[in-house]
Parts: sequence; structure tokens; C-alpha cells
Amino acid sequence: MPLSDDELWVLSYYRTSEINGSLFFGRLARTLRPSPIQHDLTKHFADEAQHAWYWTDCLDRLGARPVKMSDAYQDQYLEAAGLPVNLMEILAITLVFERRVINQYAKHLALPDVTPEVKETIDRIMQDERWHVQWVRDALAGMEDKFGKDTIDDTLRRFKAADAEVYARTLEEHEARLGFLLGPRDQATED
Amino acid sequence: MAPTTEEICGRIAEALGVRAERVTPDAALTDLVSDSYRLVEMAIELQEDYDVVFTQADLSAVTTVGDLTRLVLDRLP
Repeated sequence: MPLSDDELWVLSYYRTSEINGSLFFGRLARTLRPSPIQHDLTKHFADEAQHAWYWTDCLDRLGARPVKMSDAYQDQYLEAAGLPVNLMEILAITLVFERRVINQYAKHLALPDVTPEVKETIDRIMQDERWHVQWVRDALAGMEDKFGKDTIDDTLRRFKAADAEVYARTLEEHEARLGFLLGPRDQATED
Repeated sequence: MAPTTEEICGRIAEALGVRAERVTPDAALTDLVSDSYRLVEMAIELQEDYDVVFTQADLSAVTTVGDLTRLVLDRLP
């Protein structure tokens, strides 16, 4: 069964988001000094690149070509929350974003009639996403002595609020395309 | 030994990928590069290189290269 235009757009949006994440983490991994964070961030970068490939391959197997997109979900974070200014803030925004990704992919998997190719792709990606949340959460816990737990918690709250705002705006802007992902009620504020 | 202002300017030029002669104390950072991600990476790179930490309050007061080099020097351990 061919993909609908809306599904093609959403899968392409996932692909673009993975590419942008990979590019950002790759450049960051190049910047950091050798450390456990550099190690895990490099793996994270490689995973995101692999995920972009999974979506590219998935679309190919479905007989479709990715829609070219310039902006990704993450680009709107900077506008909503301001620029992260240090490594702790980057990890905080990453943790919030990764939780959003897991939530979004889970929501997609719960749809009726998900094609086997899409299900297989999300299942593969989800295995990595759980580790992404784990390593970033551990790294933030390890930064408590340096930054203070309260500061880290405040930063997480700030980015979580920004994420809720960006997610709601994304749904609003692309309501027609994303409508098939929504349930009977607006899930924009869902965590 | 503490880095000089010129050395920090050189690191900023390298991190932003712009010619060193453009990175003068009066130059506005947003005039040097328009990509916000690039500015974030540059800020992280300086913190890594000089073992300093910037906060939101620190960077909210920074608009020029001179502001940034002074911040690095102020934060040196």
C-alpha cells in the first residue's frame, strides 16, 4: 500500500530530525575533550546518523523518496528556550528532546495499520533511544557537584516548558499532516 | 600561564571558521556568524579549552568578541 502524503511528510520529518541531531552531536563530539561524555556523545551521534539511514531505507522500501526539509523540530528549541550555554544545558535539552522522541515514536506505533516497515524502523530506533535517555540522565547526575542539583533541575524545567510549547506549535502548524497521529483529544501538552 | 586576549580571539576565529582579522574586540559575534548552532559550539569549545563554565547570565551580557574574551579571562581557574 503506497504511503499517503501525510505519512510521507511525517516520516521525512523524522528523518530530517535524526539528521540534524546527528550533525549537531557530531560537531559537539569533535569539540569535547576526551571523557566518558565524549565517548557516549560520539556513540549518540553515530546512532542518530544510523537512524537517519533507517528512515531513508524505510522510505525506499516503501517506494517513496524523502521530502526535502530545511528545518527540524530541534531548530525551534533555540527560539523557545534560548541558546544552551554550557555542556550541562546541552545535555538537559537533549534529555527533554529524547523523551519527546520516545513519546512520539510510541504514539506512532500505537496507530492502527502501521506498515511493517515503519514498525520495524521505530522498533530498531527505540532500542537506542532508551540508552540515549539513560546515558544523558547519568551524565547530568554526574554534573551535580559542578553545577548543583537545583540548577540542573531548573534547567530541565525550562527546556521541558519550551518543548511543550514547540510541540504544541508544531501540531498547530502542521495540523493537517499530523492529524492522523492525534487521538480524539489534543495531546499537545502530554508529556 | 593565562592565555592572552589575542590567543582567545584566535580560538574564537578557529571555532567560528572565520578569518582571524575579522575577530576584533569590537566585532559583534552575530555579525561574524549567523548560525546559532555555531555560536553554541564555539561557546562550548572555549569552555572545554580553558576549563571554564559560562552561565546564561554570563552570556546574556556578551555581544562582542571583547565581551567574550573578558569573560573567559574572568572565569579562568
